[in-house]
Amino acid sequence: MVEWLLPFLAALATGALSSWGVGGGTLLLVCMTLLLGVDHREAQAVNLLFFIPTAAISLFFHRKNGYLDRTTWREAAPLGTAAALVGALLSMAVDVSLLRKPFGLFLLYGGGAMLLSGWKRPEGEEPGKQGDEENR
Amino acid sequence: MTDKRKNQIAGGLGGLLSGLFGGGGGMALLPLLVKWRQLDGRKAFATCVAIILPMCCVSAAVYLWRVRPAWGLVWPYLAGGAVGGVIGGLSFEKVPVRILKIIFGLFLLYGGVRYLLW
Repeated sequence: MVEWLLPFLAALATGALSSWGVGGGTLLLVCMTLLLGVDHREAQAVNLLFFIPTAAISLFFHRKNGYLDRTTWREAAPLGTAAALVGALLSMAVDVSLLRKPFGLFLLYGGGAMLLSGWKRPEGEEPGKQGDEENR
Repeated sequence: MTDKRKNQIAGGLGGLLSGLFGGGGGMALLPLLVKWRQLDGRKAFATCVAIILPMCCVSAAVYLWRVRPAWGLVWPYLAGGAVGGVIGGLSFEKVPVRILKIIFGLFLLYGGVRYLLW
């Protein structure tokens, strides 16, 4: 099989799932590292790059539709961005094996939350509405 | 605690996890915006994406600076993600989201167990 085909299909599925509010970057990260055998650090870099255009397009439409809470954004984004920089530098400074178990616990939390949110949804509720976008 | 402080804590936590794990910031941030800050679901999601976007940009810059993945590895993921995003957007209200959440929630739990046992 052509070597780019499986990664392309995995990203296609994850991109579609993300826009439906199911999973997102975390799903792609797990898929790359556990199923496609991509090195963990490379997978992290690809995953972050993957999110940027997807988020930018999504944000364009959300902003246009008036869903963006600017006050919350102004208060959360600067510290969040600084914390992301610290987190990324910290991640680079330690051996990748040290992050495996914390990441595993984080996945258990995320997977459990997603499972519960799917389980609790009442029958007949329309997909794509409020709360469907969790775990992105 | 003031809303401003809650926003700062939620953003900081999401950012730290996003940078540390190379993704997943939304998984921590969105529930905080919904349950702690009491933002409406749609507004919380849009705001979450807006908060995470600059986090991803700085984290990606750090990762690219240190890791430099080959373009041959990167492009199938970017192209696939773009096509998937369009397909997802066009079929937004026709998919069984609830079932997909159960299936992929189980997949993430499997991933968590694999990482813990690795």
